[in-house]
Amino acid sequence: MSSSIGVRRLQPYLFFYPSLILVAAVSFVPLFYALRQSVHSADYLQTGGFVGIANYVELLRHGGGLADIGRSIVFVLGSLALTMPLGIGLALLLDRPMRFRAILRTVLMLPWIVSQLVTGLLWTWLYDGRVGPISHLLKQVGVNIAGPLTDTQWALPSLMVTNTWHSYPLVMVFTLAALQTIPAEVREAARIDAGSAWRRFRHVTLPLIRSTVLVALVLTTLHTFNTVTTVLIMTGGGPAEATQVLALRVFKEGFQFYRQEVAATAAVVIFGLNILFSIAYIRVLRADRG
Amino acid sequence: MARRGTARIGDYAAYAFLLLACAFVLVPLAWGLSTSFKAPQDVFASPPQWIPATIELGNYSRGLFAPRFMRYILNSALVVAGALVLSVALAVHAAYAVSRFQFRFKEALLFVIWSTVMIPGVSIIVPLYLMAVDIGIYDTLFVVIVAYSAWLVPTLIWLLRGFIDTIPTELEESAFVDGCGRLKTFYVVVLPLLRPGLAAAGVLVFVTIWNDFLLAFALTLRDENRLLQVGLYSFVTELGIEWGPLMAATIGSTIPVIVAFALLQRSFIQGLTGGAVKG
Repeated sequence: MSSSIGVRRLQPYLFFYPSLILVAAVSFVPLFYALRQSVHSADYLQTGGFVGIANYVELLRHGGGLADIGRSIVFVLGSLALTMPLGIGLALLLDRPMRFRAILRTVLMLPWIVSQLVTGLLWTWLYDGRVGPISHLLKQVGVNIAGPLTDTQWALPSLMVTNTWHSYPLVMVFTLAALQTIPAEVREAARIDAGSAWRRFRHVTLPLIRSTVLVALVLTTLHTFNTVTTVLIMTGGGPAEATQVLALRVFKEGFQFYRQEVAATAAVVIFGLNILFSIAYIRVLRADRG
Repeated sequence: MARRGTARIGDYAAYAFLLLACAFVLVPLAWGLSTSFKAPQDVFASPPQWIPATIELGNYSRGLFAPRFMRYILNSALVVAGALVLSVALAVHAAYAVSRFQFRFKEALLFVIWSTVMIPGVSIIVPLYLMAVDIGIYDTLFVVIVAYSAWLVPTLIWLLRGFIDTIPTELEESAFVDGCGRLKTFYVVVLPLLRPGLAAAGVLVFVTIWNDFLLAFALTLRDENRLLQVGLYSFVTELGIEWGPLMAATIGSTIPVIVAFALLQRSFIQGLTGGAVKG
């Protein structure tokens, strides 16, 4: 009897702790590992002596880290400028009774479930400088470049378009869900009172879906900022470092150049910036609600 | 009359824009699909050929159905299966504990688990690789299963907790009255009611692992342990790119996800948004 009471006492822990232990081991331990490595030197896969912030100084001042961060931010802002209006706009168009709505919605969600690597491969081939349809089109309208991905001016914007293809569906799905929670009476009243469609959106719809749109904005920001795979497969950071973003830097330092201390330092910087972005957005969200 | 006229123009404009967006979605897929059926000499035809002059099925036998690539697909399927069992088994118990039990530091520990969602994969892949080497489990499917499970568990707990919260406790209470213990009640009464939640969880596990490149790349080395996306990547880096077979493998490996999506859209939306959007 006493043992069964003991088991009952332990039950919450038996149910909960296995998850906790696994998650801690695979998420927190490596994070601390990275933090520790970022303040130590490295000697091919072995952690060396304590060096303070020397790795950070090296990465940011001499190693081009600041330029990488700058390109990451341009990549994020450019992607957001395309992704958010597209996702929200399509959600607004889909949020009304119309024929073929289900099929349109399904097609428009497709990129969401295509992997980053496949996205990168498909677009690399679409952008191909010799035979890709996009280069062909550009040549016909008089733009003479070797190819969208091999031209230093065009490479990063081309990646933004690809990233938009992959990330707008999430914004669309979130916005659509929020729109569907708006009561029918509110819509009806707005339709009668608010005049133009834009005013209706600006003054009635947007305030009601604002927090959901902000969440989608945070997710898209972080997703884009942390993207390695698409950039790796499409340009590998080139041409001439034009698309060398910070996330790709971690991958290349860790798995191509085997400079673990630089990889760890860049990884910690990325983590810090993730936290910073999230806090900034949470404050906006709070201010919004309060 | 005028009002109906503008409404009609508005409708046409909406359709036009939606169709344009569909074209944006479909063009990359169609170009890849077209290439997957092209004979080598047509792949580099200029101007670009959208409909292949001759249908070449050899790309599929040399790409998608090549023994090497089938091995990658099998590995991905094995890891999905392993991670499905491990992560869902852990998460469903934890989610139940969170929903129904009170225990010490519950909120704080829950925060610890959920905060790991904020750790980006790219920040920890290098340490994970080094740790796996240290422990001696690097380059095994086992470590890949464990790592993916750990990544999935926080979102799965969130997702499943949402579903458990909607089950009325009266059902469990009447089971207690009938003499069922907590554990038996959980398995016999609660789990069967969780089917929609488990479906969404399954979708999340499947899509995450089937589509992810980074973690599988970091934790495996030998060809025989490669997962699908790593295999696709190696087609590009190790051999000279042959676009026909590559596109056959690329499109072919994406089709299972597209079919599953078309059939189970509700579960997909619930799973991929972590239950934030109820499909």
